[in-house]
Amino acid sequence: MSISAWLELIASGLITGGIYALVALGLNLQYGLMRILNIAHGEFLMVGAYLTWLFQTSYGLSPLLMVPVSFVVLLVLGVVVHFLCFRRLTATSPNLDVFEARGLMVAFGLMFLVQNFASWMWGGELRGYDYMTEPVKLGEAQFAANKLLVFFLALVFSGALIVLLRMTLLGKGVRALMQSPIGAQLMGIDTKRLHPLMFGIGLGLSGIAGALLSMAYTITPFMGQPYTVTALIVITLGGFGSMGGALIGGLFLGVIEALGMHFSNPSLKALLSYAIFIAVLLLRPEGLFTRKGRKA
Amino acid sequence: MTSRQLLIRDVLVLLAFAGWSLALPAYASEFVVSMALTCLMYVALSSSWGLFCGSTRYLSLATSAFFGIGAYSTALLLGDFGWVETILMGSAAAALVAVVMGAAVLHLRGTYFAVLTFGMTELIMHAVTYFEKSVTGTVGRVLTVVPERDTIYLTVLALAVLSVAVSIVVRRTRFGLALMGIGADEQRAQTLGVNTRWIKIAGFAITAAFAGAVGAAMAVRWTYIDPHTVFNPFIGFQTVLITLIGGVLTLWGPLLAAVIFSVLAESLRLQFPQIYLMSLGLLLIVCVLYLPGGLASLRWETFKGWWYDTRDWAKDIQRDLTGENEREKQRIKRREKESHFV
Repeated sequence: MSISAWLELIASGLITGGIYALVALGLNLQYGLMRILNIAHGEFLMVGAYLTWLFQTSYGLSPLLMVPVSFVVLLVLGVVVHFLCFRRLTATSPNLDVFEARGLMVAFGLMFLVQNFASWMWGGELRGYDYMTEPVKLGEAQFAANKLLVFFLALVFSGALIVLLRMTLLGKGVRALMQSPIGAQLMGIDTKRLHPLMFGIGLGLSGIAGALLSMAYTITPFMGQPYTVTALIVITLGGFGSMGGALIGGLFLGVIEALGMHFSNPSLKALLSYAIFIAVLLLRPEGLFTRKGRKA
Repeated sequence: MTSRQLLIRDVLVLLAFAGWSLALPAYASEFVVSMALTCLMYVALSSSWGLFCGSTRYLSLATSAFFGIGAYSTALLLGDFGWVETILMGSAAAALVAVVMGAAVLHLRGTYFAVLTFGMTELIMHAVTYFEKSVTGTVGRVLTVVPERDTIYLTVLALAVLSVAVSIVVRRTRFGLALMGIGADEQRAQTLGVNTRWIKIAGFAITAAFAGAVGAAMAVRWTYIDPHTVFNPFIGFQTVLITLIGGVLTLWGPLLAAVIFSVLAESLRLQFPQIYLMSLGLLLIVCVLYLPGGLASLRWETFKGWWYDTRDWAKDIQRDLTGENEREKQRIKRREKESHFV
């Protein structure tokens, strides 16, 4: 294999990896901060994709414009969902273990609800539209312009979230809550405002990911679940609650999948990612990139 | 009631239930019998799930893996062996997989365990698909030798009765107490001399054996099976759902919920499949939020509690709207001020 073919393979892996990272960051925010393992995360990605498709085909709005719109719509949706379900759950659960198990069940319920709502509303067939499909040459390798754009935007938004968490006071509060919820509350951090907001931002990120995905791939009501599973794999790779880990884990998984698919065969893709997932969970449940001695 | 009276009551209810279902195929229509079959399948699955996962609070999503293993072993073995041997072998295969899987994953708790069992199920499904595609060259199998409808019905009925009976018995043994102990506090159970590792693996294997047997028996009903129908994660989800909605720790909750579900499923699924699944999701959320103990924990007091909650909530809103809360605050402030002068 020539060097340019290698580069092309790795770059295409990175492009899918960028989306994985964006989805995983949102899920990681929810799990790391609130211990809500949101199995329905991918379904909200699907909602974002459908919103973009709907506005693009019926009003001719540019998909780029829909990226912030779907972020805001899903943020609001997330705050509402948190208000309706998880607020009561936090108040009534006796301890964190019970909260986690019940939260998982509520998320399963949400998954059924949202997925079937979409397929009832828009039908089960494949949808899509053309947007920036002309190829772009980079050196000797060729890529579709929309995929490059998707990758670029995915990295920008992932970076923005990480910068937000590292640099601002809001981010400091969130990180403090991740490290020690009680300690952070004693320092005057308002969980009642921060939790819904962060749940909303997590969903908003999946909305962005959905809007980006719809530019380059076809969409169906059932597209969400594989992304949820991939996001789970990514956050186990990177360590629950670690944002940098999720970004690197996402890109890493994308590359591994691309290489694995090239050297074996495409039907092994799912098998490969599940095998990595189970191996990591069994051998290093604290994540590949976390330092020893620090609890993730 | 004393423990002995409870036992007698449970056995009598079980006998009545078994006798009624035994008589059902004689007079009911084809449609009702097929509905009863689905119902019995979920009774067997959910009460065996509750036996291990309910009492130890290990949330397993691997039921569909065991179900699928049972179904595939029927597809492979039924021509060469008799009906009963096939089902026994299917159940043994599932239990064997459960022992291996359990030894690997049962040291993880909570969400990790749930996610891992889900991942394992998908891994097994994809592995079987891949194996079929690349080695045998086909996807799916056609079952040619199919026993009569009544045989299937009786087998599934026997499995359902057996699983409830096993739950009744296990609750009264040291083994059941150990499972409950693990659910309450695993470290404490260990300190008190329970070999938690073996107890958990044994419990997981029993659950798997039932799921495998049910899968082996139900496979013939479809006549054509492929990995995506028999390893469908939905079977596992629905089992968990039924048990949770019925009440994880109760004996009769899962049975009650299974009956409700199969009626709901058969009446809604064909015409409005999405509405059925949406209502399923909604029911699950509402149940977890407002009735965490399950349907079987529903008492007269629960309704009273809801009524009081709603009334207090309405009162609060009313006070807010009429400005009573504001006035109350000012009154308190004034009182504080006055107490300063004293």
